[in-house]
Amino acid sequence: MALAGPAASEPVKLVKPEQYRARVVAAKKGRVVLVNFWATWCDPCREEMPALVSAAKAFSSKDVAVALVSTDSLKKTADVQRFLSSGRIPFVCWQAKSPDPQRFIDAVDKSWNGAVPYTLVYDRKGELVARLAGPQTEKSFGDAVRKALAP
Amino acid sequence: MKRRTVLAVVALGFASSLTAPAARAGALKIRAPAPDFTLPAASDGKAVALKDLLAKSKAVTVVFVATKCPVSNAYNTRMEALGKEYAAKGIPLVGINSNKTEPAAEVREHAEKHGLTFPVLKDDGNRIADAYGATHTPEVFVLDPKGNLLYHGRIDENQDDPQGVKSPDLRNALDAVLAGKPVPVAETKAFGCSIKRV
Repeated sequence: MALAGPAASEPVKLVKPEQYRARVVAAKKGRVVLVNFWATWCDPCREEMPALVSAAKAFSSKDVAVALVSTDSLKKTADVQRFLSSGRIPFVCWQAKSPDPQRFIDAVDKSWNGAVPYTLVYDRKGELVARLAGPQTEKSFGDAVRKALAP
Repeated sequence: MKRRTVLAVVALGFASSLTAPAARAGALKIRAPAPDFTLPAASDGKAVALKDLLAKSKAVTVVFVATKCPVSNAYNTRMEALGKEYAAKGIPLVGINSNKTEPAAEVREHAEKHGLTFPVLKDDGNRIADAYGATHTPEVFVLDPKGNLLYHGRIDENQDDPQGVKSPDLRNALDAVLAGKPVPVAETKAFGCSIKRV
């Protein structure tokens, strides 16, 4: 019997600013959570995605959860889904839903200026322990998660 | 609450993992003096000096722009319209392209193709983007005649639909400047493309 390929990407789900904390971060409680903010129009975001996929493979899903949050326009949900499916990106992906982007940015992290790619790492208790601004590598993603996992 | 979280993390010895976004460190503060610059216009290579623009204006709008960024491109028409409208009232608009991936020739072609008549200056080595702490495109800085920062942030909140804009932040700032009033909201944020630095 042939081995199954990677699971198809789950449908993109919308998240409002006030839901971010509970739905994207707290729902994974007990695990380190890495949240990557990206957009289909953002070249460095697309380019770093394989590094994030590789980095995640080094960790058990019991310990680490990865979530994506697309900052694309809500008119582009199909493009987001297409990118995730064609790249076989094995992460849950949310899409920011806010009439005013600033409300979403501030709900996520007041010190974030809104530039993507942007990655936040939360420890097992849900505390924010790392901010990774700009494009990352497999090593920098992995290092941030390892630090967050350290007791 | 967030402040407490950060302090707790520092106390636990994770300080080194909390890297503040680079933009924060260098970002200009409202009312602080903005660095002067003299940069070549992408159209003809002629030097444009901020201090010369300030000397003959009620304020100057500086916008960091890009040729390939869809967010910046979504604002081409709006930047051109705002540039024309407010230049006539004494507030010219100047674009700066700091992306290492977008050479002057490309910036010139892009401006011609999209009918941008305001000058777009080429910031080789992203020195001016660094001096201003600019991180996005598009990202706006409005300066008073002394070169002090009056407004920093987005053009408006709605990149998709110019007709559906509910928060015309740059326009509000420029109108306040012209009316001699304080800028109502001096700092805003928006999703945007990172400036491609050297």
